[in-house]
Amino acid sequence: MLEVEGLEVAYGDLQVVWGISFQVPRDSIVAILGPNGAGKTTTLLALMGLLPIGAGSVRFGGEDLVGLPTHQMVDRGIVMIPEERAAFQSLTVAENLELGAYTPRARTVYDQTLAEVYEIFPRLAERRKQSAATLSGGERQMLAIGKALMARPRLLILDEPSLGLAPIVVEDIFGVIRRIRDRGVSVLMVEQHVEMALEVADYAYILEMGAIVAQGSGAELEADTRVQEAYLSL
Amino acid sequence: MSQLVAQSIVSGLLLGGVYGLVALGLALSFGVLHVLNVAHGELLMLGGYLAFFAFTNWGLDPFVSLPLVFIVMFGFGVLLYLCLFRFVTRTETHTRIKNSLLVSFGLALVLQALAVRFFTADERTISTAYSSEALTVWSIRIPVVRLAGLVVAVVAALALEWILSRTRFGKALRATSEDWTRAALTGIDVRRVYLIAFAVSAALAATAGSMVSLGYSVSPGIGLGWTLKALIVVVLAGLGSMRGIVVAGVALGLVESLASVWIGGQYREVTALVLFLIVLSFRPLGFFGRARA
Repeated sequence: MLEVEGLEVAYGDLQVVWGISFQVPRDSIVAILGPNGAGKTTTLLALMGLLPIGAGSVRFGGEDLVGLPTHQMVDRGIVMIPEERAAFQSLTVAENLELGAYTPRARTVYDQTLAEVYEIFPRLAERRKQSAATLSGGERQMLAIGKALMARPRLLILDEPSLGLAPIVVEDIFGVIRRIRDRGVSVLMVEQHVEMALEVADYAYILEMGAIVAQGSGAELEADTRVQEAYLSL
Repeated sequence: MSQLVAQSIVSGLLLGGVYGLVALGLALSFGVLHVLNVAHGELLMLGGYLAFFAFTNWGLDPFVSLPLVFIVMFGFGVLLYLCLFRFVTRTETHTRIKNSLLVSFGLALVLQALAVRFFTADERTISTAYSSEALTVWSIRIPVVRLAGLVVAVVAALALEWILSRTRFGKALRATSEDWTRAALTGIDVRRVYLIAFAVSAALAATAGSMVSLGYSVSPGIGLGWTLKALIVVVLAGLGSMRGIVVAGVALGLVESLASVWIGGQYREVTALVLFLIVLSFRPLGFFGRARA
């Protein structure tokens, strides 16, 4: 569904991503893992059109995405949840969800999607009149995911969904990510939390210093000695 | 209370309404685009001249020409955004202020020079048949042409608040103002939001200009003075409440007026600025400002 070939990204003169290639097949969870500063978030921002792409191609459902403005990516069904505080703090929970369905494509099925989101996250229905700033960490992540679902994604991109959350909440969030995949949404996520991410991911790439150094299914990577030494506390 | 004091309270309130109206537009461009447009007062000046010439050349009453002035200056705002401010908003949020200062100072000088060239340096006031009419309450005169400025300010603030809180576009505007990256990731066309917010800001400045040329006067050099007043009002009120901006505008007008009666006309501006410093030291986000994440 998403095919990235030879992607290069730089901040001015500082090149961060060095020609990486990866794919997200339909109905699967793909994780990009690696240490802080490996270029994971940079890769996502470039995919979404928020950073200029130096070289390489990005194709989604066969269509070339390079150079497309961010809001049009969303309209095509590529929705990214940025790290932390993805929801607007100055808006209420309901307003955030309403804005989530901003694109014309999502707006037509607004009522139906909203009912689905409230069914997945009953807590959001309880808090719909509250300002997003008053939510707890876990509720914020729920709102972030709920808001993204309102856009009717075909590919959901998550940047560090576990960041700043208690392990038990992370379990919940990863459970939700699985449910979302089972509803026919492909998922691309970036994680520092390698061990937990390998449990949910169907396929994963390890990114170091802006290059992919290992890839495979979750089980394959868990068995890989280099990955074990570098990332897994066994 | 003496007659003089009562009269100056009323004048202060009325002038303060115009301060509020000018500040509404500035708050919009500053709050949403994070650019500081110091040529805001020049846009007011242009709006004032538009209303003046519409009256003298075509006999259009300033209230009839008001929507026209709004639309023309909305268009001019679109043009300014596309030719100048678009490039400023391409930079990171924290570098926009200084870049926009450079760009808009230049713009202010150009607009002033053009105004002197084409409109001459004469002071102009629209004098309609009702210009000298006034309501009299307890022997205090309330000139109708000045009362109009306050009324237009209140209407504009309420309309803006309604748009911001009730409409989809208003919510998109608030979202963009909080974080443009996240707004784009939500599917909002941020450039379009910027374009419209800037154009409305220019149109609001021009609306204020219409009221200024009706109740007061316009000349090519008035811009900077109005920009400064608007800036003080925005800082006093904080960004967050449109109603609060009009209230702060009225408060500033009132303080200036009382200062000139009790302390002396030459201390009018100084007193207002001292008040400004005092407020800032106790409420750095302004009276109605909300902390941002």
